[in-house]
Amino acid sequence: MADTHAVAGPQSHGGQEPAHGGGHASVRTYIWVALILGFITAIEVATLYVPGLPNGLLVSSLLVMSAIKFVLVVGFFMHLKYDHNIMRSFFIGPLLLAILIILALMALFSAYILLPRP
Amino acid sequence: MASHDAHAAAGAHAVHHDPNIGTTGLDNRKVGMWIFLGSDCMFFGSLIGTYLSYKGKSVGGPGPHDVFNIPLTSESAAVLLLSSLTMVLALAALEKSDHKWTGRWLLATALLGAHFVGNQVYEFYTFAVHDGLRLSTNLFGSTFFTLTGFHGAHVTGGVIWLMGLWWQLKRGRLNKSDYTKVEIAGLYWHFVDIVWIAIFTIIYLIP
Amino acid sequence: MATHAAFMPGVKKEVAYTGVWSWITTVDHKRIGILYGVTAFIFFVMGGIEALIMRAQLARPDNNLVSAQTFNELFTMHGTTMVFLAIMPLSAAFFNFMIPLQIGARDVAFPRLNALSYWIFLCGGLFINSSFLFAAAPDGGWFGYATLTTRQFSPGHSIDFWMLGLQILGIASMLAGFNFIVTIVNMRAPGMTLMRMPVFIWMSLVVQFLVVLAFPAITVALILLMFDRFFGTLFFAPAAGADPLLWQHLFWIFGHPEVYILILPAMGIVSEVLPTFARKPLFGAPVVIYSGIMIGFFGFGVWSHHMFSVGMGPVADAAFSIATMLIAVPTGVKILNWISTLWGGSIRFTSAMLFSLGFIAMFTMGGLSGVMHASPPVDLQQTDTYFVVAHFHYVLFGGSIFGLFSGFYYWWPKMTGRLLDERLGKLHFWLMMLGFNMTFFPQHYLGLIGMPRRIYTYAGDLGWNFWNMVSSIGAFIIALSILVFIINAFKTRRSGQVAGPDPWDARTLEWAIPSPPPIYNFAAIPTVHGRDELWLQKHGDGHGGAPTPRPATPTAQEIAAIHMPPPSYWPILLALALTFMLSGLLISTYQIIAGGLLVLYCMFKFALEYHRPAQETH
Repeated sequence: MADTHAVAGPQSHGGQEPAHGGGHASVRTYIWVALILGFITAIEVATLYVPGLPNGLLVSSLLVMSAIKFVLVVGFFMHLKYDHNIMRSFFIGPLLLAILIILALMALFSAYILLPRP
Repeated sequence: MASHDAHAAAGAHAVHHDPNIGTTGLDNRKVGMWIFLGSDCMFFGSLIGTYLSYKGKSVGGPGPHDVFNIPLTSESAAVLLLSSLTMVLALAALEKSDHKWTGRWLLATALLGAHFVGNQVYEFYTFAVHDGLRLSTNLFGSTFFTLTGFHGAHVTGGVIWLMGLWWQLKRGRLNKSDYTKVEIAGLYWHFVDIVWIAIFTIIYLIP
Repeated sequence: MATHAAFMPGVKKEVAYTGVWSWITTVDHKRIGILYGVTAFIFFVMGGIEALIMRAQLARPDNNLVSAQTFNELFTMHGTTMVFLAIMPLSAAFFNFMIPLQIGARDVAFPRLNALSYWIFLCGGLFINSSFLFAAAPDGGWFGYATLTTRQFSPGHSIDFWMLGLQILGIASMLAGFNFIVTIVNMRAPGMTLMRMPVFIWMSLVVQFLVVLAFPAITVALILLMFDRFFGTLFFAPAAGADPLLWQHLFWIFGHPEVYILILPAMGIVSEVLPTFARKPLFGAPVVIYSGIMIGFFGFGVWSHHMFSVGMGPVADAAFSIATMLIAVPTGVKILNWISTLWGGSIRFTSAMLFSLGFIAMFTMGGLSGVMHASPPVDLQQTDTYFVVAHFHYVLFGGSIFGLFSGFYYWWPKMTGRLLDERLGKLHFWLMMLGFNMTFFPQHYLGLIGMPRRIYTYAGDLGWNFWNMVSSIGAFIIALSILVFIINAFKTRRSGQVAGPDPWDARTLEWAIPSPPPIYNFAAIPTVHGRDELWLQKHGDGHGGAPTPRPATPTAQEIAAIHMPPPSYWPILLALALTFMLSGLLISTYQIIAGGLLVLYCMFKFALEYHRPAQETH
């Protein structure tokens, strides 16, 4: 790694102003993201009221939708899409670990969400 | 080799002026905030894991779907998502040195957050008084109030932080050169939002 | 000795660097390291005295030196003290002093946060030990298993002291973790890529990640316990459908990474000491680094090997057993790399080297007994017996403590400017080796013939008498060896041989600057061309390449232009406010509220301390 500070994107100003990362979403993008988030939330809630939906399908569709919302907020609002890899790994690593721990605890306690009770 | 050394030495000298910028060009505070958020993932992961391990095992007392007010909670979720938007708008305004709108968006974010907490207080009150669900009632009460209570405490902390920034701005002590300070407050705020995305789905929506 | 220190351009303050106030308000990582080291050593001696009393009690059967209740308090406090108040902060002393020096930086990323971590640690250590004054010393074991620790079975305040003390200490550790990660990632000298960092820095980095990711689990466990004890929640109430195993899982999700937090710093130290005194680079340094990373990562996947006897079922048992055996692999790889470093080297048997060699031998023995525990059927015989006590003392004492003493002898000249006496050092080492093995080796046997853990006495006809006596004598020999070290430390304060910058002809950047270093560490931030940069400067790369140019002597002007952060009293005030708030749980709600407001006030003052006024100053 010859140039240890080549990471700063085009908007860095070296001295007084901090580097803001590689790029930036525009205000328009933010508003679109917010609208999509609201839309998905509405679908999520509506899914609860779909009659006759199998439990497995309900749960997985809810998880998928919330994951999409999660990624949108982290990627755009938290700017991680444009940020240096280091910050991505500092968040995604622990996030994956936390998810694994949740799943492990559920399995160890036979949480009935995984293993339906008779 | 000599030019590389000179370049590296010049780099070392250039970043010397702002003590917050490291030799990678990244701001210490931003890197620090991301690690803190990673750590907070483990905190909420442990609380959510506790909730899910005890789900459905309460002996007596009201259960989740006896008490949940989905319309209210959905409004809370929408409010928090909206507050994330106002937060990034505040940051965008700050970058353009539009202090008027920075202040307005910051205040809006804080007020939306306060509204969320207000909803939660109302929810807790209703559960406790009308539904007979308290911390000590059953496992659901214990796990639910603890998990969502700590989330609400995080939101409250965020509101105080944002109000502090708003106050600094009003006193003329915040401007574009403080971008990173506002940015890391924003990161914290969005994190609190995504934890709610997880809690809303896992605790409230999933049967 | 006064020197100027300006942080904001245009703001100059004359700052004194002598006197108690300068220590209370210091934000200098070197001073904070010394504070951690001295405080931790005092706690280490306290934990040692607790151990001596236990060993005196167990020296003979049917003894009545202490009651069963007192014995419970002793083993609880001994464990808690040694883990949280001795080994962790002794490691922190080295993190603080050495990390900025080894990466070529002037201080850590957040100097005041660094000071805050120390003061919170001190408050937490004093808080938990203050329980002795209230006849409420914790007595539930250092692992505090529910339901023993619930209000029903532990009605007094003992467990409250333990729980709150650990929460306070956890905050200190996590803040330091954030600080060091940012420091290591973001403040390395130009040219120091990640793979050119000293192995001690790598191990420290892994440790800090373990800290920030594992402590939240125990934070949650302690919160659940606190809520059960104070607010009537039912997290550990079996009658309400709860499972006490939840405590064990959450505790060990923290607890297993914690033991790697305890050992990796020592492994990092050994990885510095061995190459220096073998005059050879660390064999397979990248492999040692990757092994350390794997140990850290997989350390999160083995926690239930502490729970093989609770009935988790064959699937869980097998999964954790396999994971535990796998984690022995990178550990073994490191041991082979250390031995290969010695092979063909030109060995100097200094005290530091002896302790590192002792580490390799003792830690290997502890690792072997650990691998035995990894098999659930075997563990069912060994668990809760003295065999486990022998195992963890071999890895934590034979491993961590030996490694830390190696660090003391190695880095003492850098920190104080004087060398520790080598003859006393060797006496310390051999006495400690003798005492340590006398104390703990027989405990393997005692465990296998059935002596359980945590018993305050035993009958005289079980065949345990002789080896318990041997073990107890060994403990007092350990104490004697520590005394030798203390004498050495005091003796050499005034009359020790003066060390120059590089008394060992070492390899890494901290030896390029004076001993002790000036407040700004490096007059000019060095440029790094490879691993073991100092060695490259002194001797070249050993393949015919010329030595890299040594940095030019700095001018007085360059030194005067260096800005160091000024001292601050907000760290200690915030630490006191935090302790005041949390201890309010034992006193009154008003104290919690008042403390909370105080904490908020201190946090804002801390955050805004260097925020500029309304008019810009440039």
